[in-house]
Amino acid sequence: MALAGANPLDGFAALLSGALGGPRQLAETLVQTTALLFPALAVAFAFRAGLFNIGAEGQLVVGGLCAGLAGASLVAPGYVAIPLVLAAGAAGGACWGAIAGFLRARFGASEVIATLMLNVVALLLANYLVSGPLRAPGAQGPETALLPAAAWLPVVARGTRLTLAFPLALLLAGLLRFVFARTVFGYELRAAGEAPEAAARAGVALRRVAFTAIALSGAIAGLGGATIVAGTLHRFNVSLSPGYGFVAIAVALVGGLDPLRIVLAAFAFGILQSGSLTMQALAHVPKDVVSIVEGLAILALAARRVVAPRIATA
Amino acid sequence: MSAAGGAALALHGVGKVFAGGTAALSNVDLALAPGEIHALCGENGAGKSTLAAIAAGRLAPSAGRVERAGRVGLVHQHFELVERLRVWENVVLGREPRRGLRVDAAAARESVRTLARAHGLEVDPDAVVETLPVGVAQRVEILRELARDPRVLILDEPTAALAPGEIETLFATLRSLAARGTAILVITHKLDEVLGHAARVTVLRGGRVVMRATTDATSAAAIARAMVGGDVAPLAARAALTPREGLTVRSLRAGNGAQALAGVSFAVRRGEIVAVAGVEGNGQTTLVDAVAGTIPYAGEMSLGGRVLAPGDPAARIATGVRTIPQDRRREGLVLTWSVADNATLGDQARAPFARGGLRDARAGEAFARDIVERFDVRVPSVRTRAAALSGGNQQKLVVARALAHDPALVVAYQPTRGVDVAAAALVRSRLIEARNAGAAVLLVGFELDELLALADRLFAIYRGAFVAEYARADFDRARIGAAMAGAA
Amino acid sequence: MHETFAFVTLALVKAAPLVFAALAGVACERAGVLNIALEGGLTVSAFAAVAASYATGNPLLGLAAAVAAGALLGGVLGVAATRFGVDQIVAGTGLNLLAAGAGAYGLVVLFGAPGASPEVRALGPRGEAALVVAAFALALGMHAFFAYAPWGLRWRACGENPAALRAAGVDPARLRVAATLAGGAIAGLGGAFLSLGELDLYSDGMTAGRGFIALAAVIFGRWTPLGATAAAVAFGAASALQFVLQRSGVPSDLMAALPYLAALAALTGIAGRARPPQADGVPLQPETAP
Repeated sequence: MALAGANPLDGFAALLSGALGGPRQLAETLVQTTALLFPALAVAFAFRAGLFNIGAEGQLVVGGLCAGLAGASLVAPGYVAIPLVLAAGAAGGACWGAIAGFLRARFGASEVIATLMLNVVALLLANYLVSGPLRAPGAQGPETALLPAAAWLPVVARGTRLTLAFPLALLLAGLLRFVFARTVFGYELRAAGEAPEAAARAGVALRRVAFTAIALSGAIAGLGGATIVAGTLHRFNVSLSPGYGFVAIAVALVGGLDPLRIVLAAFAFGILQSGSLTMQALAHVPKDVVSIVEGLAILALAARRVVAPRIATA
Repeated sequence: MSAAGGAALALHGVGKVFAGGTAALSNVDLALAPGEIHALCGENGAGKSTLAAIAAGRLAPSAGRVERAGRVGLVHQHFELVERLRVWENVVLGREPRRGLRVDAAAARESVRTLARAHGLEVDPDAVVETLPVGVAQRVEILRELARDPRVLILDEPTAALAPGEIETLFATLRSLAARGTAILVITHKLDEVLGHAARVTVLRGGRVVMRATTDATSAAAIARAMVGGDVAPLAARAALTPREGLTVRSLRAGNGAQALAGVSFAVRRGEIVAVAGVEGNGQTTLVDAVAGTIPYAGEMSLGGRVLAPGDPAARIATGVRTIPQDRRREGLVLTWSVADNATLGDQARAPFARGGLRDARAGEAFARDIVERFDVRVPSVRTRAAALSGGNQQKLVVARALAHDPALVVAYQPTRGVDVAAAALVRSRLIEARNAGAAVLLVGFELDELLALADRLFAIYRGAFVAEYARADFDRARIGAAMAGAA
Repeated sequence: MHETFAFVTLALVKAAPLVFAALAGVACERAGVLNIALEGGLTVSAFAAVAASYATGNPLLGLAAAVAAGALLGGVLGVAATRFGVDQIVAGTGLNLLAAGAGAYGLVVLFGAPGASPEVRALGPRGEAALVVAAFALALGMHAFFAYAPWGLRWRACGENPAALRAAGVDPARLRVAATLAGGAIAGLGGAFLSLGELDLYSDGMTAGRGFIALAAVIFGRWTPLGATAAAVAFGAASALQFVLQRSGVPSDLMAALPYLAALAALTGIAGRARPPQADGVPLQPETAP
């Protein structure tokens, strides 16, 4: 911060006040938290299975796109429209993740490279679709049609942007924790991630687990994209995510791959994200400092070797 | 240059404490005279490898000092070769002969040939290490150390992967090296080799020297007692019984390359222990994996008349096939998990450990407590992480899990590898007890003595085929050794 | 004929940064470091090049700054992975984030406005051509290095079995750090080409995923310098093709996706299942007794 010629204390103060200064600010922070929480849970889910899903960003975009498309042409009451739109987002993200999962299961291809490549393809594809064929008629920019009000996620705090997405994300975190700790599926997934050879001998189908893990991870990220579309933007355009999928990797690591700690980590990063704009406006510190901090956080925290070892090619 | 008193290598009061407080070595004194062949014995965890690393200068001691008359070479048990490079590249790595800016490949090759001839070690300098059989790869490893003209050569468990004939060749090479003045330190737990080839023996236990002797003044029993610190429990008695139909294998073909199985047929009946003896690298791993169901294969396999489908370990476990894998840390346990969670590995989806996809942690813990007691696994609580257990206790846990469900077939692959003597004795006895109770036991390993002690029948395996079969009454070490080396 | 020449020139211009980045990737991976921060390396070096040229008016200093910046980023990866035990993938991701933020940040701090820098003195067409030639020369040089030089042998050993290297008396950790420094420096040349060669400014996101295409080129090229270069040239040609076809109505986004789709195809083993260096991406084990 000092490099930018601004006063670091002012910068921090602006950041915090921008993030937590009042109920409206807090709500906005929680909006950012939610946007980070979905892909972070997605990344952690895959990590626990021993897979590096660097493609949460792309899966999020595809999920948002599917949600936007599904919702735009929907005529149905809220309690039908909303689940449908969210399901479309999850399905889209799942399919996108499944491509990498398929390459991994069938060809033993590195999911790191596959998901990285698919990220870019997702953005290009989405850009192409909403600039051209699927562009909403009469829209000002490249985007889909506005979702009918029935498909908008209800706001849980009046006057803010905070929607049902937030409690939904919390629920998801709790659900994942339950899955890891108490279900056979979670047991086998963790075994595949932490001791793949032992897991194989214990009857765990490694390829199937890898595929399922990446696909579900994509679904969670896609769901996140859907909540942004249905809750915040009410339409899909390509700038729905300022890199949430990448920051989410940091969030997942800071949270030690544990769903509940990830919620806290997402909140911390949410503060960074939402406070950064205020910080820029008031203290003249460029908001990109935040990216730098996030990058450093990854380096500093990963030194503790939090990430589980990778699945060997089955 | 030599150490005080003319010794080639002298350790004075050497101690080593690792991070976390484990004292691997305490107050070790050891001296090697030039031209001596010296054996170092001890159980796993006694500190032998640590001692070797310190003696060779790879590791710094925490206490004491090391005097060396010259370079100390070290040949590890698990080779440190670059498999995708050629023999000459491995041997000269780090000391490459140069011509200008380039490596002088011709000079390197020639130097390797000369060195090999001088020591009677046959190698092709241009062969890619990956393609070499284990015995030849070991020669490359030795050559790499010899190329640096060591005063002392330390070999860590050098005969683990060699056929009886190759063992003789190795010791002949070592004797000729010793005759030239090189001091040799052989780390081994094979007491017949100690008594047959070494002049003196030092025994480590718990990081301390507990015995020093000249080999003609001591016995295998005395060395074993020093290694364990007591007497070993005798092996369980074999019940006389009539074996029933168990595993039947017909025309099994699996794997590829050097490790392929070329159409093996055999049977392991319930109530008998069938051993497969062979030099490492002749298809044993492929055999074990095929029977355990983790790799695809062609041919037929049936258990008690029911056909087993390839590539489905889960189905095997359900049918009563249990495996004791050769690498407990990677293939048998999830080290970051608790003993209780590990105890249910393999049965995680079955009652009583799970119902309808949900796990019952308490049932798992109760089961774990039960088998921990029955198999003498020393652990403070079943919630302890598996990584915290000693090698012997980890192996007992893996064996316990395999035997606790009354298996129809037990596949045991090196069941006592890297395990202290007391734990090994328990494992062997439990295998016999399982056999007495009616299990079919397929025992695969590289310790011929163990196989001979346990088996009712024994097959010799060579290049992926069973080349000879012996009944217990006809066990003959010499003939079996010859069969293992392909000379049946 | 004239059109073919123009196309070839365009393809080479598009390929050059990819070649540098791919060679950087090969250098790192042959030593056992999976460097997914090539993208970040291109970013910081592209920025440093413009910043230095802006400050001094000398594009050659810009080139030097780019090499230094790239090496610095590579060095951080190397040290993090060897000394601090950070997983290579995780460290690479962190560095990419860091680099992207630093680039945007730098734009505001140095030039006062986000988005893009003002135009600076660039290398000019002669400089551009020199760099292109340098890229291919570097490829040949790297090939010779791995095949004939003593340190090339040790480098290869490090990527296959670092324990063997240690047994031979050479420290694999130092070699890996050297590899990431060298790789980073080479990537720096690529970044400089982007901002001072092809263009004359730095803009947010100008690297556009080239660092990731380079990873694909490394796989396609089976981790050899010549193979990776050939793959990079192929991708560059695809990029040039995209330009040419732009006018004929083929959507530019889909064309831009070609290299990535090609990379995905490469993963399926269409280009043959070659094996990466055995210790690629595997952290170094400390020397302890079992």
